[in-house]
Amino acid sequence: MHPRRLAATTFAAMTFITAPLAAEELRFTLWTGNDAHLAIFNEIAEGFTETHPDVTVSFESIPAADYTQKLTFQLAGGNPPDLGWMFEDVIPGFVEAGVVEDLRPALEAAEGYELEDFSQPAMALWSEKDAIHGVPFSTSPFMIYYNKAMFDAAGLETPPELAAKGEWDMEKFREVAAALAKANSGKWGFEFKDGQAYDSRILHAIMPPIRAYGGYAWRDGDCGFDEPEAVEAITQLHDMVFEDKSIVPPGEQGDFFSGNSAMTVNQISRASLLADADFEWGIAPLPTGPAGASPIIGQAGIVVFSQSKKQELAKEFVAYMTNPENSELMAEFFPPARLSVLQSDTFVAANDLIPSEQMAYVGKAIEEGNVLPSHPRYAQIYAAMKPRMDALWRADADVQASLEAVCTAIEDQL
Amino acid sequence: MTGHIRTGTTATRAPWLTLRRREMFEGWLFVSPTVIGFLIFFLGPLIAVIIYSLSEWNLLSQQMTYIGTANYRDALIQNPDFWHVIRNSVIFAAGLVPLNMTLALALALALCRPGRGVVFFRTAFFAPVVTSAVAWAIVWKFLLQGEAGAVNQMLAVIGIDGPNWLREPDWAMAAVIVTRVLKMVGLNMILYIAALQSIPRDYEDAARLEGAGNWQIFRMVTWPLLAPSTLIIMVITTIGSFKVFDHIYLMTGGGPENGTLVLAFYIYEQAFEFFNVGYASALAMIMFAIVLVLALVQIMLRQKGSA
Repeated sequence: MHPRRLAATTFAAMTFITAPLAAEELRFTLWTGNDAHLAIFNEIAEGFTETHPDVTVSFESIPAADYTQKLTFQLAGGNPPDLGWMFEDVIPGFVEAGVVEDLRPALEAAEGYELEDFSQPAMALWSEKDAIHGVPFSTSPFMIYYNKAMFDAAGLETPPELAAKGEWDMEKFREVAAALAKANSGKWGFEFKDGQAYDSRILHAIMPPIRAYGGYAWRDGDCGFDEPEAVEAITQLHDMVFEDKSIVPPGEQGDFFSGNSAMTVNQISRASLLADADFEWGIAPLPTGPAGASPIIGQAGIVVFSQSKKQELAKEFVAYMTNPENSELMAEFFPPARLSVLQSDTFVAANDLIPSEQMAYVGKAIEEGNVLPSHPRYAQIYAAMKPRMDALWRADADVQASLEAVCTAIEDQL
Repeated sequence: MTGHIRTGTTATRAPWLTLRRREMFEGWLFVSPTVIGFLIFFLGPLIAVIIYSLSEWNLLSQQMTYIGTANYRDALIQNPDFWHVIRNSVIFAAGLVPLNMTLALALALALCRPGRGVVFFRTAFFAPVVTSAVAWAIVWKFLLQGEAGAVNQMLAVIGIDGPNWLREPDWAMAAVIVTRVLKMVGLNMILYIAALQSIPRDYEDAARLEGAGNWQIFRMVTWPLLAPSTLIIMVITTIGSFKVFDHIYLMTGGGPENGTLVLAFYIYEQAFEFFNVGYASALAMIMFAIVLVLALVQIMLRQKGSA
């Protein structure tokens, strides 16, 4: 045989022999790069390889700010991940575009999965008719984080103490924030979520008070920002920023996690930033309003992309990652939508940084809360809304007129 | 040896690889890296953008439909945001180009001759050009904060109540122009220094002997001799100002109230936020045309002036 032909035949034979044994890799995109978070995911991946020894799962971190964009370009460029995290505000658009898979058959086929254990309100965003397009691995309510030292300096009762007495409402929140700013010179009473309320996290800032006052952002094509409840809620925030000067205003920085604000609102995954904090802190529920308690939930789900060549394996991994045992494991940072876990003692003791009585607020908020608003055209709505919201955050702004302008700008998109 | 073989072959049949063909082949081989690079990274994408601009292409759903010139008509006739964006781009360029060039020329005149501290100051003014755009934006965003910002605190010392620079549309545009000028002025300064150093000292000496003062020498001798360099610098700076993206993205994100939403950022928003690649491509072609026309007008004006 000719040497070249011999080499080619040998190579083909080797490929044929080794193909069934070749390792398969699942590529999983996510937006956290936090070591504590990744350690949990790697532990879950190792567990999966016990039953699938030829499979490895590689986690690819993409910064949250660029996540949707980079993911879209990977899909468009023919380099799709097999599965990945998905923000709540973009999942409707991905479902509409038909780029994510229905997971229901795989979840129902998984042994011991208990699909009915998921809270139905928490699954609403991820389900369409009978299809399940994603599994919410994190159903994380917005909580108030507070700096106890700054409350002590102001001689104030902490939010959990006020909540226990039934006095933790929007009015008290304003009063406390003003007193904290006054008592802690050079610091702020309250910082919006991640200090980004005036930029990328507008809804994260305004939805808690709007819902506490009984308002809404949009529903059934109708804009709710100019309704009286929303106007009243935003007017309070506006007054706190510009009259009381208790909320970090636009253009200023007042990071809670560095001790520059006495309170902020965030999810429990941010607790990992406080592991080495040099001040005592805690979490509390959101203040109630005229509409009572209205917890807000931010969600993230796991989806399998239709372009993946290993769809079935990826679906199996989703079922494994979100089974009852692994949901418990992830609960330290990512509260699950599984009722059995939320109501268990394991959940309230899951986070080493947060006392169990405060973790109980988290479980209650998940059961009672509603997810943030979403829409298939969320990016366009946000872009139309943003300049009008910028106009709102001026000291001399007419709140009612600004919110009416927001509704006019977004009504075509709704 | 080779020549002998070739001669022998010629005797039997006409050679395919003649000297002329070989030289042509070698020539193409030498230029091929550039030609291939040009075709793949310039001409190919340019043709692709033209094709995309005539279609409706949603990147997420991967659906592409030919729609003729609808994207252009939508941008130029139906979309009011487009003209707002063009207005912002013109304001940005009109503010940046004269400020940048005046400051660059002033610095170059001060630093073109050897002297004490000249190297230090040249380095100091050029350093921002090679500084990371991200670091530059972070520092300036910090300095330009509202009441707590260092700029406003310095203004407060002299009794001026400074604005919230990056949160008020007019001030935000002024702030992004000035901070961009401070970042990029070093480049034009170097170009002007090179131009000034290429002017023979004899002209200045002769003018001085004739009794000309510094201003007269600058106006009658230096400035006319700098004209070709000024034209190049103006073309480069104008094109750069219309293409500005990173600075806007990092400093204001196009806000507040779309007050700094310039064309390049608007194209980015359409392509990478809304995934309307077809529409973004049409906008990119319009930007290409604007920049091309501006460059041609400037060159024609210069030719007319020197005729």
